[in-house]
Amino acid sequence: MFNLDRKLIISASVAAAVAVFSGCMSGNAEPKGESTVNGKPTIDGGVYYPVVNDKTGPYYVNPQVAIDAKKIYNGRVPTANELKAWDKDLMPDGTGYPEGEGSVEDGEALYEAQCVMCHGDFGSGGGGYPALAKGNGYELKKTLTNNRYKNADGDGPVRVFGSYWPKVSTLWWYIQDGMPHPMSKTLTVDETYALTAYILNINEIEYEGEPIDEEFVLDREKMMKIVLPNNDGFIPNIDGPTGPDDVRAFYADPNNFGAKKVNPAERCMKDCLEPTAKVTYIAGAGISEFLPPMATERSLPKTEESNGGAKKHYEEACMMCHADTSMGAPAVGDAKAWAAVTAKGMDAVYHNGINGINGMPPKGGSDLSDADFKSVVDYMISQSK
Amino acid sequence: MDNKKSNHEIDVNKRDFFRKTAALSVTALAGTSLLSSNARADDPAIMHHVPWGQKWGDPVTKNRYGIPSAYEHNVTRRNTKLLASGNYRASIAVTPIHESMGIITPNGLFFSRSHGGVAHVDPNQYRLMIHGLVEKPIVLTLEQLKKYPSVTRTHFIECPANGGQEWRGPQFNSVQFAKGFMSSAEWTGVYIKTILEDLGLKPDARWMLAEGSDNSEMGRTVPVEKVLDDAMIVWGQNGEALRPEQGYPVRLLLPGWEGNLCVKWLKRLEFASEPWYCKEETSKYTALKPSGKAIQHFYANEVNSTVTSPSPEIPWTNLKEGDIVEIEGLAWSGMGTITGVDISFDGGNSYVPASLKGLVLPKSWTRWSYMYTIPKDFQINGKQIILASRAMDDAGYIQPTVDEETAIMGVESVYHRNGIETWEVTATGEVNHVQLRS
Repeated sequence: MFNLDRKLIISASVAAAVAVFSGCMSGNAEPKGESTVNGKPTIDGGVYYPVVNDKTGPYYVNPQVAIDAKKIYNGRVPTANELKAWDKDLMPDGTGYPEGEGSVEDGEALYEAQCVMCHGDFGSGGGGYPALAKGNGYELKKTLTNNRYKNADGDGPVRVFGSYWPKVSTLWWYIQDGMPHPMSKTLTVDETYALTAYILNINEIEYEGEPIDEEFVLDREKMMKIVLPNNDGFIPNIDGPTGPDDVRAFYADPNNFGAKKVNPAERCMKDCLEPTAKVTYIAGAGISEFLPPMATERSLPKTEESNGGAKKHYEEACMMCHADTSMGAPAVGDAKAWAAVTAKGMDAVYHNGINGINGMPPKGGSDLSDADFKSVVDYMISQSK
Repeated sequence: MDNKKSNHEIDVNKRDFFRKTAALSVTALAGTSLLSSNARADDPAIMHHVPWGQKWGDPVTKNRYGIPSAYEHNVTRRNTKLLASGNYRASIAVTPIHESMGIITPNGLFFSRSHGGVAHVDPNQYRLMIHGLVEKPIVLTLEQLKKYPSVTRTHFIECPANGGQEWRGPQFNSVQFAKGFMSSAEWTGVYIKTILEDLGLKPDARWMLAEGSDNSEMGRTVPVEKVLDDAMIVWGQNGEALRPEQGYPVRLLLPGWEGNLCVKWLKRLEFASEPWYCKEETSKYTALKPSGKAIQHFYANEVNSTVTSPSPEIPWTNLKEGDIVEIEGLAWSGMGTITGVDISFDGGNSYVPASLKGLVLPKSWTRWSYMYTIPKDFQINGKQIILASRAMDDAGYIQPTVDEETAIMGVESVYHRNGIETWEVTATGEVNHVQLRS
């Protein structure tokens, strides 16, 4: 069936080429958007602009392209090893799950060494980094119906791995590809299984009816059997042969996704608001910490600071972790903490900062030169006396 | 002597100008001091030589890649700590749409969003792999990719979290932050369907994975229907190479759809019969409804609009009763072409049609305009003006009110908020972001 769709879509441009000669279109009129493709609604609920008379919407197209493209192959076939090197995605049905294993215990040790500085103790989050767990995933899933629509002061929904994510394959895949954030793709397959196991553990996820405990060892086969609490929490269905059509049906109804359709001639032009609607102002100052501060004047920029921009570098590269103690880093302004750091001597401080120490990546993940980095360290210490 | 001569010419020109203007509108001049200009102090900016007029300017050898005037240094992307995850590596910097002109965002001001920082890709080492359910898989270098026949299209890209911080009430007194999670550009690249003509999709290919080569290996699943419609692989942005922030050298462009789907630093497209469940399409970019179910695969950014002038950033504090001013704004729809925009002065209770201006293109920013005479104290019937705009598109959609949208979506869905935006003008011409809600 899909084959047929595709032929119809592609043949639209051929039909357009024919239309030119048969003269069934007048001039170069702009073809209108259509809400159906091959007799079915568009998949996103929007319009589709067919190629008619060598135009799609307001744009001219070269009709030769659709014909000649059938003969263009500009690259080469990837080798089997190249495919293996790049095709590393995981799908929920087990496709792509590599052989390997890792324990909750090993995962915890890895977490403490490489993850806790951003994701917090037991995945509690902090410093703008996402929390990974807030307790029992099955219990927390119940908070997903919390909605501060009618109860502004109530609790909102808790959307962490255990309560919200539908598939465990997503977690494994993302840890392998994207973590740890400042130096991704450095974890082995076994380490990735171990970290996945640990995150399942702190979310109190069950394996075959039993909570995943500290003795648990995760592997490929076990991961395929784990069903997360919110596995059925998403609409529309996207799986199986009907997936695309299920999506299409969903977006065919504006009420499903908060949209509104109207005949333009009948749109409301007066008395459009609910009688109960009133002006709501920003609470307090709202979110007003803009960087750089909001300004619209036309002036010459102020000259650079005498400290070579160390303050600016600090704000861009270091402040996220060093502004307070929440990330476990010595906070700027905390004389005691910095006295302990500098007690080892400045050479050691520079060395540790440049090469990374504890949770801190080399140079804090910045691309500063050694000299600039040292000036930032000096600046931070000068602000902590 | 030169000065004297030119002053005389100016006087003659001014007389001509006044005569013509007066003929057009005597009332418009009433109350101004234009006619008694002799009584006013002379403007030093006119009376004295200016520094740049008396010495050499820069040689053409300076700034071989041009940069804005130093005086424009406040026109920048901005960020805020609220959206600072990953030490500004999984973060966003937003576009100053209060300063935008026309429907194109300059490349240096295009909003910047990444999930593992802005990658700097060596174009010589760039490879694009297309495989999976295709008859002939392929690896392309950048040079080979650019040999395919190209198309150029103007489209906005919008982060679906644009306005997403304000489901529960207004938070940003700034149009840059309230609505600037988007930009618009003229993109050049190749339709994926053109490449697929030869590769050949297998019959059960229903989904495509798009994956980036950046630190986060950002991936998303795209339905094949979009791939065969207008999905593009782009390398050009406003007549030059993509900027690193936009995925240099190559990104995916799905016109009208979530910016997050337009994967940057694109390395791989794989076709399969089942969808992937990537991190950003499950844990994020899903819209939680009051039922506890969340919408996944929420593709198109719905019809939307905002006033951009006046704004909290550039208010009407220099205007007074009787002044005539152009109200301007942007409208856009990822579902089609803008067909009209209405403007309201009472927060969206009553509307009059505004005018579209300039090019009106599918899935593109569209500029709209309304000429307005400032009332006393910025009030109508004793109430402060509250400006609102409401756009419609050719797919038949119109922006809902905040109440209508939240009645269906609740206030926890984060993404795809397109309720009508409202801006109050105070008695002194300041502009405040407000919402009209029950």
